[in-house]
Amino acid sequence: MTTAAPDRTVRLRELSPAMRGTRPDEVVIAVSPAFAGHFTKTIVDVPHAEVLRQLMAGIEEQGVASRLVRVRETADLAAIAHLGAKLSGSGIAVGVLSRGTTMIHQKDLARLSNLELFPQSPLLDPAVFRMIGSNAAQYAKGESPQPVPTRNDQMARPRWQAKAALLHLKEFECIETGRSPVEVEAVFEPAPVG
Amino acid sequence: MTATQPRPADQPRHSLRTEVLEARPVNLDGFVEEWPEKGLVAMESDFDPAPSVRVEDGRIVELDGKQRADFDFMDTFIADHAIDVASAEESNALPSAEIARMLIDPRVSRDEVLAVTRGLTPAKVLDVVKLMNVVEIMQGMQKMRARRTPANQAHSTSARDNPIQVAADAAEGALRGFAELETTLGVVRYAPLVAIALQVGAQVGRGGVLTQCALEEATELELGMRGITAYAETISIYGTESVFIDGDDTPWSKAFLASAYASRGIKMRFTSGTGSEVQMGNAEGKSMLFLEIRCILMAKGAGVQGLQNGSISCIGVPGAVPGGLRAVAAENLVASMMDLECASGNDQSFSHSAMRRTARMMPQLLPGTDFVCSGYSAVPNADNMFAGSNFDTEDYDDWNTIQRDFQVDGGLRHVREDEILLARGKAARALQALFAHLDLPAVTDEEVEAATYANSSADYPFRDVLADLKGAQAVMDRGITGLDLVKGLEAGGFSDVAENLLTVLRQRVSGDLLQTSAVLTADFTPLSAINDPNDYAGPGTGYRLQGERWAELKKLRHVTSATDPESEVG
Repeated sequence: MTTAAPDRTVRLRELSPAMRGTRPDEVVIAVSPAFAGHFTKTIVDVPHAEVLRQLMAGIEEQGVASRLVRVRETADLAAIAHLGAKLSGSGIAVGVLSRGTTMIHQKDLARLSNLELFPQSPLLDPAVFRMIGSNAAQYAKGESPQPVPTRNDQMARPRWQAKAALLHLKEFECIETGRSPVEVEAVFEPAPVG
Repeated sequence: MTATQPRPADQPRHSLRTEVLEARPVNLDGFVEEWPEKGLVAMESDFDPAPSVRVEDGRIVELDGKQRADFDFMDTFIADHAIDVASAEESNALPSAEIARMLIDPRVSRDEVLAVTRGLTPAKVLDVVKLMNVVEIMQGMQKMRARRTPANQAHSTSARDNPIQVAADAAEGALRGFAELETTLGVVRYAPLVAIALQVGAQVGRGGVLTQCALEEATELELGMRGITAYAETISIYGTESVFIDGDDTPWSKAFLASAYASRGIKMRFTSGTGSEVQMGNAEGKSMLFLEIRCILMAKGAGVQGLQNGSISCIGVPGAVPGGLRAVAAENLVASMMDLECASGNDQSFSHSAMRRTARMMPQLLPGTDFVCSGYSAVPNADNMFAGSNFDTEDYDDWNTIQRDFQVDGGLRHVREDEILLARGKAARALQALFAHLDLPAVTDEEVEAATYANSSADYPFRDVLADLKGAQAVMDRGITGLDLVKGLEAGGFSDVAENLLTVLRQRVSGDLLQTSAVLTADFTPLSAINDPNDYAGPGTGYRLQGERWAELKKLRHVTSATDPESEVG
């Protein structure tokens, strides 16, 4: 449930306005306004550095490139993932909220339809993020992977529902209306000791 | 366990007692600080409006500090449909403390209270209940609940959407006393078969139990109109305009849906509860209870007979903030103050702590409500497709014991195992006969045997899911109705079950189930606020657990005989 202390942190350095990719073999990872900024870890303390590292590794293992985009104008996961998909050369993106809720989306689908949704953020650990990255890359290659197995825990709500609401409200506060998505670079650093 | 783990050198040493406390289940629950500006506060927020009302030419032109030109659509709907204009100015002018006293004073009748509350604005209602502590809220509920006789309601679902399991558990649930049973699905396409199984099982357990199938609204309405279900409850409403719009709804669209059910004599109530707006990020800076009071008035204005409230699927939110469960008790009271049936929550899982789970239901169980739970899990929680309930089948004996301890009626009873086995087996055989008659996928004798003795979905043989889904589609394509079920049960030799179902269907024509808090007794008499009105007027009056019903509730699984202490009775 809880994870070991983070051995690295991540900072998202802004590069340029996000453009539509041209590589047909890429997956965009689109992150929410407060991801790796106001917040540094998911609802169950998975460091954002670890989330990105696992997603990117899962994508890379399939021989596909990843590209990072920061969305500022909305905290709606479907909107973030769909925006990412429209920017992706392959049309596939993974959207991630700060608390960990994740979705694989495709540009030709309706915004509220998607390829795979992982709604219970407390159940997402590094291994699941790696599988999500791998599946997204397989979709980008035109394959039809088995969906990542969904987990269910009827006590997740009692434990996490209120904190999820709180994190959602904070994420809302980081929205910058009218700002376009930005291409970012992940700068990983060892966590300070202590 | 912790002793084997090396303690990190930089952490302070804890006492052994702290470690024991830390390991208690309650510390797995989520707790958060209040944040009133965003609506993360139960009922004491400086950001809630102050009460006010002004009437001009028979129309409310000012509501809780807002002029008519500034009304959002909730304000407009409430002002035009929910508040009694004739008494509004006079009622709102009464001091809130005076109204709160009327609520708890047994010498003031329920009708006298309603004459005042029907004119109150949302902020005024909040102003009144904010004055009340939880015991006063319970005292108010004891008098204000609409139906004199309390009841209970249950979930009957299956993790595998197995219709035979649903039929058997519905029969047991009905036998144990639930007046209403609801189901929902993992695979939505299974719905017609599971809804039929629920209806058949319920009528085996106890004739007159009402059933529903929670689905997307159009399908739920169609199943109701066909007579495959008897009532509906999952019609969600919200306390802010923005959340309503997010859900592609308005107060008028929900009111229209309500009238569609009423047009066929189908009982229905709305669903709302504290915490949903803040969970969706659009509480507009108002307390959870203030927004819930707007929902309650909206339900009143739409003309539905009742409301499922008590923070249903968002119970983790009020459960996490200070005073949250007091606010939940208050919202139940407000529904009753508005003369609505109240199915009072105690529904979804909200705590790891057995003590908190029990404490959460006391404000409803002790005074009694129309339905103490709006979803007690009549299956093990792992089979509960509503995402788990605060109570499940493992809690039956505890519930029965608490009823006996306090001499209160929580709507259930202990049933001997031989009776239960009989009902479960009969429900499965009735479904077997009905499916055969309707040419639906067969129910095997092995499945009947499993259903009789099963605990959970894991105890049944696997079904051919694809064949079942085809069968479910055929039910819809062939236009099968409740009357076809009656005919099939009759043809299969289950005349008594057929008769029970036919009598439930006949209630549609009389429309009696549209009366506030209507349920059917075992002899199919509708019991509602009309013919069983709550007449509490102080000690010795109102509903008292006595006579046959008390004798029934004295029975538990193990009670030592007074005449022969070496044996047990019950």
